[in-house]
Amino acid sequence: MNRSSSETLNRLLLCLAGALVLALMWGPQEGNFGNYWFAIKESLFGPRVLVFLALGVLAFLAMTFWPRVVPFLTRPGVWPMVAGALTVVASQTLMHWADQVGDAKFGTVASAAANTNGLAPLASAFFGGLCWAMLVIVVLLLAAGIVSGLRNFGWAAAVLSVVSAVIAYVSHSAVVDFVGGVDHSLGVYVCIVGYLVLLTAGLVVAMSHAQVANTRRAVNQALGWRPGLPLVLIGAVLGAISLATSTWFSPANRNATLADTRNLFRGTGLAPIAVQYLAWLGWTIFAISLVLSGVASYRRIRPLGWAGAALGAIGVLLTVLTLYRISSIGADLHVDSADGPWQNLGAGGWMTCAALFLIGAGGYVAATAPRHSERTVEVDSDAVASGRSASGAFLTAPGAVRSGLMVAIAVALFYPPTANGFWQSVLVSEIGIYVLLAVGLNVVVGWAGLLDLGFIAFYAIGSYTTAYLVGSLPVKPPSWLEMSPLLAIPFAVVICLLAGLALGAPTLRLRGDYLAIVTLGFGEIIRIVAVNADGVTNGSQGPQSQVPHPVINLGPVKITWGLNQLQYWYLLLVFVLVVVLAFRRLENSRIGRSWAAIREDEVAAQATGINTFRVKLLAFAIGASTSGVAGVFFASQIGFFTPDNFLLNNSILVVAYVVFGGMGSLPGAIAGAALLTWLPEFLKDQVPAADRQMWIGAVVLLMMIFRPGGLIPARRRAVELSGFDQRQRLEPVAVPAGEGL
Amino acid sequence: MSEGLLQVQDIEVRYGAIRALKGVSFEVYEGEVVALLGANGAGKTTTQKTVSGMLQPAIGQILFDGERIDGIPAHKLISMGICHVPEGRRVFPRMTVHENLEMGAFRFKRPDAQLLEHVLELFPRLRERIKQHAGTLSGGEQQMLAIGRALMGKPRLLLLDEPSMGLAPLIVKQIFDIVREINSSGVTVLIVEQNAAQALALANRGYVLETGEIVLTGTGRELLADDRVRAAYLGEEIAAVS
Ligand SMILES: Nc1ncnc2c1ncn2[C@@H]1O[C@H](COP(=O)(O)OP(=O)(O)O)[C@@H](O)[C@H]1O
Ligand SMILES: [Mg+2]
Repeated sequence: MNRSSSETLNRLLLCLAGALVLALMWGPQEGNFGNYWFAIKESLFGPRVLVFLALGVLAFLAMTFWPRVVPFLTRPGVWPMVAGALTVVASQTLMHWADQVGDAKFGTVASAAANTNGLAPLASAFFGGLCWAMLVIVVLLLAAGIVSGLRNFGWAAAVLSVVSAVIAYVSHSAVVDFVGGVDHSLGVYVCIVGYLVLLTAGLVVAMSHAQVANTRRAVNQALGWRPGLPLVLIGAVLGAISLATSTWFSPANRNATLADTRNLFRGTGLAPIAVQYLAWLGWTIFAISLVLSGVASYRRIRPLGWAGAALGAIGVLLTVLTLYRISSIGADLHVDSADGPWQNLGAGGWMTCAALFLIGAGGYVAATAPRHSERTVEVDSDAVASGRSASGAFLTAPGAVRSGLMVAIAVALFYPPTANGFWQSVLVSEIGIYVLLAVGLNVVVGWAGLLDLGFIAFYAIGSYTTAYLVGSLPVKPPSWLEMSPLLAIPFAVVICLLAGLALGAPTLRLRGDYLAIVTLGFGEIIRIVAVNADGVTNGSQGPQSQVPHPVINLGPVKITWGLNQLQYWYLLLVFVLVVVLAFRRLENSRIGRSWAAIREDEVAAQATGINTFRVKLLAFAIGASTSGVAGVFFASQIGFFTPDNFLLNNSILVVAYVVFGGMGSLPGAIAGAALLTWLPEFLKDQVPAADRQMWIGAVVLLMMIFRPGGLIPARRRAVELSGFDQRQRLEPVAVPAGEGL
Repeated sequence: MSEGLLQVQDIEVRYGAIRALKGVSFEVYEGEVVALLGANGAGKTTTQKTVSGMLQPAIGQILFDGERIDGIPAHKLISMGICHVPEGRRVFPRMTVHENLEMGAFRFKRPDAQLLEHVLELFPRLRERIKQHAGTLSGGEQQMLAIGRALMGKPRLLLLDEPSMGLAPLIVKQIFDIVREINSSGVTVLIVEQNAAQALALANRGYVLETGEIVLTGTGRELLADDRVRAAYLGEEIAAVS
């Protein structure tokens, strides 16, 4: 009794202390010269601290009553409810809702709406507090449904979620129409996504068969019910919105929808196909492909699925063609000083592309899903024990992984054109490049289990190789060797491969920590050589003349890359795609299996006849050459670089991305790198600059505590971390076997 | 039986400055079971690792089937039919039993389905747990899996390093029975053991290692009867015998 009450007291104190730390973290921390304590006083003694203390008390209550809460957490609908609510909250606190209003954030728009007369009443109500009221009611309904087990609460929440999403959308449109001007804000879309997740939660609560089942299974059942149908539904909603109301063309601060655009271009000599598209063809293709894919997935008719996929693909091509035509005419007429195609386009066209793509993808998934979908989610002894699927994968329903992949591809293809210049450059020079690097390092760290802390050195070697081959360094290549940057790729690959072998051959006999230290040293040596070898590398200045942008010139096909970031994005996508496809094959090959074996137990791997040294060397070299390709891209995209682009810090970041994403998992490496490169840029607007690293650190820490396998864990790691009793080896530890050969 | 399948001639193995083996010679004939006995640290594991190519002798030579094999790395020796079950039942814990067995056939393009069937017949417990992760098996099952995995490499000479370590007597008996069965199907076995009574009951011949040197040799029965062996490994007092 006494013991437990002192434990409780300790917990309370800890929670309050945590709350105070959070209060310090949130907001500026710096004092000024006269008063060093200024910020601390502000954050600890202002009234604001009460909010944090209240949070602390809440956390304390949650922890104390945790055992009583836990049984409810496994009930269906809990996690989608949390995720959906968080998404809605995030969209209504952090995101932009109307670009033309102040700093465009939700709060600003809301206060502007409150001070404006003549706004549609629904919009006033929404921004005046209805938005929060709706969210609270939906969540309360869901919670009531989950706790009481009464299905009708679930139905009510589902219906209200849809209503809320519609209200949010209508209110946003009202504000944008009222203010006028170009608008690319995304807040409302994220909000709608949040409500769709809440809708899922409602449906799960309403329809789950078992009182206590897990959400994962319910979601998988919903996804597996009709493979491909979820994609078709998303496509339908997206397509209807974009064809009916979104901006297709935005000349002179006007938001022209599809219909407006048709009227604008009447009699401008627009190509007939584009005219037809704007008039009726777009809608028709959308409708027909929707019917084809929808019926195909609902009735499970494969040929129809393929037809839907084909029509979707044709639709995407036609849409892109139309966008090209209208923006070219816009450029000819110098609308808003446009000087080339693809300018002044709104998000509508690209959203339609995404919609048609998803509808086609739905048809494809329906056409390729296993005919008799196994209703039973695989039963495995571990799975039953730990309550999760044996593979540790979230999506086990037939076609679900493929559907997820399709959504990711749709975003990667059609989101970037709608992003603003800042985000486009982030996409290319942060997200894209680091995804490529992480995929390469994943081979070394994740698959072969070798900790390489000098990975960025190969990136540097790739960049300098390119600079040499295009003649930008003080040492010139023989004139017959000078080439354009894309041709440098094979050379960079070979040179990085050799560098990888040269570093690996003597060092790969070392293990773990030693290898990490040697590679770390190697990375620094390469950078220091680049700084000091003035005669060869031009020292800390970097290459003397600009590394030219890539060009492809094959007679009829001529593509030149310039300053437009989008072009580089698509080039990078091609690189990533090629590398990922190649690595996927590798993972399932003999070599992939030997990496897995070495990672598990090197002595046993040797005993089964694997040439451990050669296989590890191979992983090292493959990783190195991927890094080299990224280096070629980097050099020719950025033009000028210096040795400071290749700091130890970057190597460590790539390792962090791989670990965060899930060691040894390809989708994990991609997602990890994308998320962790996106986060700092996103936080730029949200928190004081000095705090950014701290928030990122907090995200990484939380991830490692609650999801140690990473974002998308590899199959084997998931097993390792799900905590089965890995029996102690009987061998005496004092004599590490195989060491010191 | 003029020439042994495996001939180890005067090998010396060093770990840095430590001489773990100081001139060890022995022979294993085709179809035999030979036991290597010795206390902890005597050099039994070192001997086996040297035979399987994981360590290289500094002096001396090893012949297999009349050919010199010292200096050939482990992964090549496997294709000659020398399969090693390392000490401490090293299975791949995060692979399933089936995947472990397939890894054993790594030297072939494709695992031999018939052989897999044969191994599963030999170890019915593994068949029951074919989809289970190896790390979740019991100690005895892991040892069986390690042996089964080595069999998947179609050995001519099977090296077993302390297969009975840390297992319950009943399981030890099962494992020794299986080793006998493997041997009777034509596989030559070199087994390292501390469990001298069981090993010598099984073995045709035995060698006793002490701090890197062979101090005693004989048939299984002779060694079992030897006072020094009884004293050192069977826990009987010499005084009581003499
Ligand atoms: N990797 C190693 N490095 C240094 N010394 C080792 C190593 N492995 C074994 N030894 C030494 O070699 C000797 C023989 O060891 P080992 O062959 O493992 O003995 P056993 O298997 O008979 O118990 C011991 O003295 C041990 O300390
Ligand atoms: Mg030993």
